[in-house]
Amino acid sequence: MIERIHLPKSLLPAPRLLVTESRDEFDRLRDALDDEIKPRGIIEQMFVADIAELHWEILRLRRCKAAIIKSEFRAALADLLQRLLRKPGDPQEGDWIYSTSAEAENLAKEWFTEKAAKKQVSELLGQFHLDDSAIEAEAIRKSAADLEKIDRMLASLESRRNRALGHIAEYREVFPRQLRESSDRIIDGKARALEHKVSKTPSAAA
Amino acid sequence: MASERQIAANRRNAQNSSGPRSGAGKKRASGNSYRHGLSATMASSAQRAKSIQKLARKLAGDATDVVILEYARDAAQAVFDLAQVRQVKVALIERMRTFGEFDASVTSRTTRQTISDEAIGMSEPAKAEVAMPSTEPERSDEAVRQALPELLKLDRYERRAATLREQSARIIIGRISQFNNLKMHSRKIVQNEANLFSFFQ
Repeated sequence: MIERIHLPKSLLPAPRLLVTESRDEFDRLRDALDDEIKPRGIIEQMFVADIAELHWEILRLRRCKAAIIKSEFRAALADLLQRLLRKPGDPQEGDWIYSTSAEAENLAKEWFTEKAAKKQVSELLGQFHLDDSAIEAEAIRKSAADLEKIDRMLASLESRRNRALGHIAEYREVFPRQLRESSDRIIDGKARALEHKVSKTPSAAA
Repeated sequence: MASERQIAANRRNAQNSSGPRSGAGKKRASGNSYRHGLSATMASSAQRAKSIQKLARKLAGDATDVVILEYARDAAQAVFDLAQVRQVKVALIERMRTFGEFDASVTSRTTRQTISDEAIGMSEPAKAEVAMPSTEPERSDEAVRQALPELLKLDRYERRAATLREQSARIIIGRISQFNNLKMHSRKIVQNEANLFSFFQ
């Protein structure tokens, strides 16, 4: 049975959360990790605390990633509609007289609330063999620079979290192995001494 | 290429400018290369130093080996450095969430803070007024988005502290294992001696 050692949490620096984040939720996450990993000793506890914080930050960034795409939806839809509604001879994007058409803007605005507008947009997209996923694709394209930064940060955080998990595994593998090897050597030593004793005993009796 | 006379003149002139002489001048010059302090190990307060010491003692366990103690101190320092970088990250997001930009509180900051922020590009020309959502969690998410360039810059310091902590922990574990082996060996010798003793009895 693995014995868990509970150390005072004050030894490790307390994580600072955003004002809008829930301390209870963070504690629940850390407790869940504690239950799963069952840290033994301060070194493992240090890594588990780190994993909790890294995981929390990963969740924060993933949430932000979804929010970024969502926040670009309206602009993406307006841009898409602008292009779909354009007639031959209209000013092109980049022309100095080019401006977002009021029709595209209104339709994009109403798309969020009006069923009729939603239907109209779907029909318009359908004429060009497109569907709603084209809006999401445009929103992602528009926020690509920020999404790329978030992905870089996520990759870094995830790699550090995996490394921390790897350290715990390595620690658990190396430490008991060394102890086991040491105890094996002791047992071997004992066995040899006993063999020696046994081999001597008959001759002593004789 | 400089002539002999020019070289001699340079050497003469250099004698007259050998850096600050007064205590205050030397102190001021010591901070010339100061940028933001995140790459330096900072025992900024007595409380922090005490906490680092406390954690280091716990990490070292009952070891008296100087190497273990030294690496335990490194690991503890790295744990607190890591926490500090994370605090800075949260503070940046909070600042963005509150003001909608990073430069709003420039007037209340010291020159050094301003200079150090400029050094790592934190006070880039004020971004165009960002339309921050008025409701949560959208406002916080937008604040994270606006703070992304700065957060990305801090990632390097976080990785550095994490690496130092991992390396130190690995060395501590290795050393402690070695000591345990030695303890086991000495116990084995004692045990063998006891066996031999009982055999000859």
